[in-house]
Amino acid sequence: MVEKKIQCPKCKKIITISGNYGDVKTLRCPDCGTEGKFSFKKYYEDEDFAVEVKNLKKIYGDLTAVNDISFSVKKGEVFAFLGPNGAGKTTTVEMIESIRKPSSGTIKVLGKDISSSFDDIKEKIGILPQEFHSFEKYTVRETLFYFSQLYENPANIDDIINAMDLESEKNKLYKDLSGGLKQRVGVAISLVNDPQIIFLDEPSTGLDPKARREVWEVIAGLRNKGKTVFLTTHYMEEAEFLADHITIIHKGDIIAQGSLDDLINRYGEGSILRIKNCKTLGIFDFLQDKGFDISKEGNGDIAVKLKNREEALEVLSILKHECVEYSTIDIRRSNLEEIFLKLTGSKLTEVSN
Amino acid sequence: MNLKFIKADLILSIKHWLRSTGTVFWTILFPILLILIFGAIFSGGTDVEFDLILQDLDNSDFSDSFSSIFNEIKGVNLINLSEDENVKDYMQEEDKRVALIIPEGFGDTISEYISSQYDPNSNFSDDELPFDLKLIVDPSDQTTTSILQNIISSVIYQFNMNITGGLNIFSIDQESSVGEDFEYIDFFVPGIIGFTIMTSMVYGSIERNTKYRKDGILRKLLTMPVTRAEWIISKMLFMLFLSFISTFVIILVGYLTWGLSVHINIFFFALVIGTSFMFSGLGMIIGRFVKEEETADMAGGAITFPMMFLAGTFFPLEQMPEFLKTIAQFLPLYYVNEGFRNAMVYADFDKTIYFTGIVLIFAAVFFIAGIFLTKWHED
Repeated sequence: MVEKKIQCPKCKKIITISGNYGDVKTLRCPDCGTEGKFSFKKYYEDEDFAVEVKNLKKIYGDLTAVNDISFSVKKGEVFAFLGPNGAGKTTTVEMIESIRKPSSGTIKVLGKDISSSFDDIKEKIGILPQEFHSFEKYTVRETLFYFSQLYENPANIDDIINAMDLESEKNKLYKDLSGGLKQRVGVAISLVNDPQIIFLDEPSTGLDPKARREVWEVIAGLRNKGKTVFLTTHYMEEAEFLADHITIIHKGDIIAQGSLDDLINRYGEGSILRIKNCKTLGIFDFLQDKGFDISKEGNGDIAVKLKNREEALEVLSILKHECVEYSTIDIRRSNLEEIFLKLTGSKLTEVSN
Repeated sequence: MNLKFIKADLILSIKHWLRSTGTVFWTILFPILLILIFGAIFSGGTDVEFDLILQDLDNSDFSDSFSSIFNEIKGVNLINLSEDENVKDYMQEEDKRVALIIPEGFGDTISEYISSQYDPNSNFSDDELPFDLKLIVDPSDQTTTSILQNIISSVIYQFNMNITGGLNIFSIDQESSVGEDFEYIDFFVPGIIGFTIMTSMVYGSIERNTKYRKDGILRKLLTMPVTRAEWIISKMLFMLFLSFISTFVIILVGYLTWGLSVHINIFFFALVIGTSFMFSGLGMIIGRFVKEEETADMAGGAITFPMMFLAGTFFPLEQMPEFLKTIAQFLPLYYVNEGFRNAMVYADFDKTIYFTGIVLIFAAVFFIAGIFLTKWHED
């Protein structure tokens, strides 16, 4: 249990609250009545972070591509850097990878400042650049051998081939592989030095849904092996499926960050239960009287905003007991698309396209 | 220095190259086709050039009347050379292709022959005939020499007919102006070697600087423990392998097909290496300013193809107008071609040193400029 003192943003009164790390507490200012949430964030040591970015800025002439952003990536997590095309994702990750020079700010990878220690860091990171294509006429095995020879202590490439399920493809030329397999080889290349952090820049862009799913499985497998994965993507489903932590970037600014649950709790509308084409008169008033947050939609649809799982079960029970006539029921949780829409006023998919 | 990477890069680059039929075609088969096609065309020889040097060592009435025949042939520009001048030196200095020397004894041979026809006691024997006139030709210009050879042969035939009515009293003893008996192909092959190295180096560099950049390979290498020097060394080793393999294949095919005769010496190796570095540097410079792969290929073609024709790769520069000769002096391929010809064919030590030196200077300037202009990091 820890105790924290916080200041009311409206009347500046100091309020003392207590809780455990990870808790999110709702509190109300005793003086002015302002309500808010406070999360007891875990205190991390420097060595807990794989990447730490502080006040990073990249300016091209009049254009600020990355605007004074700060974030950190914990070791062993899948960190999704989500945003539409042109948001500044690749510029940021390429600054972390020392491919581009920042205009200002500091970047630490594995606790070391990249401006002075990147040569040491190179041995410990693996990178799949955006739209990466390897040498077309090397076989898969030759490709992995080629890149492994750059490192002092390369991993066993046959182990990587096995782990990435590339055994049956190892003697095929890179150019003859499908898009999904090429990306899988790209990820395999990033593992030839058994890195601690793997940077994957848009690894599933341009792939069909099946191939994209295969790449996701590979990335999930990396997390299971304890690797830190820094994933840049403009696919919200990818971030939702894979990420432990999501940072959303838009027009060079970070607009939200946290776990998926955090983001939904903070910016989403929770879960909505929809009773489609409801024909039983009076059920709307009945549910309202029971205290549900409820609204009418077109075609006789009724939307119930759920606070928790129990409320969903209660609504279903009422529908059964009252013999309510309807066509279907669906329950939908807020997603990143809605959060992005709420935060920016535009859909992520539309901006990306 | 990461030698294991350099070794892996070299071996896998060769494998990659062997699996790329298009590249193998342009590096090996295309120059071979050129040798076969141009060799066949110019072995027959059809061209126009009219300067004819004539040195009369006989100074008789007969030799005067013989040489005056050439003055009457339209289009032949007769240049009389005094007895004390060295014909071959003059040809090289003045870039002349054909010289005819009338040796001492020309007039006496005619006198004795005519006398023998009327004097039964004459000691003159037909066995001493024919009396040879010396023809010196520059084999690098097969077309010019073949036309003048035909003209001279016709004149001698007619002269024989007029004097003897059929017996060949005079004939031609031919030798090369460059000291050995060379064929046109001997002069053509050095040009093909220079051209082949130029194209494979320029396009190879362009590929590394545009395709590898587009495919993210350069970005990936930037994040891996390889230095710029290790990358350049490994790539240049492969490019030198390409240069030497294509050069030796060209020479081998030239030898087997056309009986090519060339010298392989230290300057030949220096020129192959220098040319490889020079044009790799040029490719890097092109790749710096042209980002798109297709545009870069076009830019490479726009520079290499005109250079191929303007630098005397297929045709001697002496046949070209003056302004083109002047342009050639600014083209690095001209020095490569002349360097290879002097090292491999003429065996002219002084000129070989001169041209090799210029090639090495060009190589250093282009390669260093290429390294410094090539962007490794993104903006």
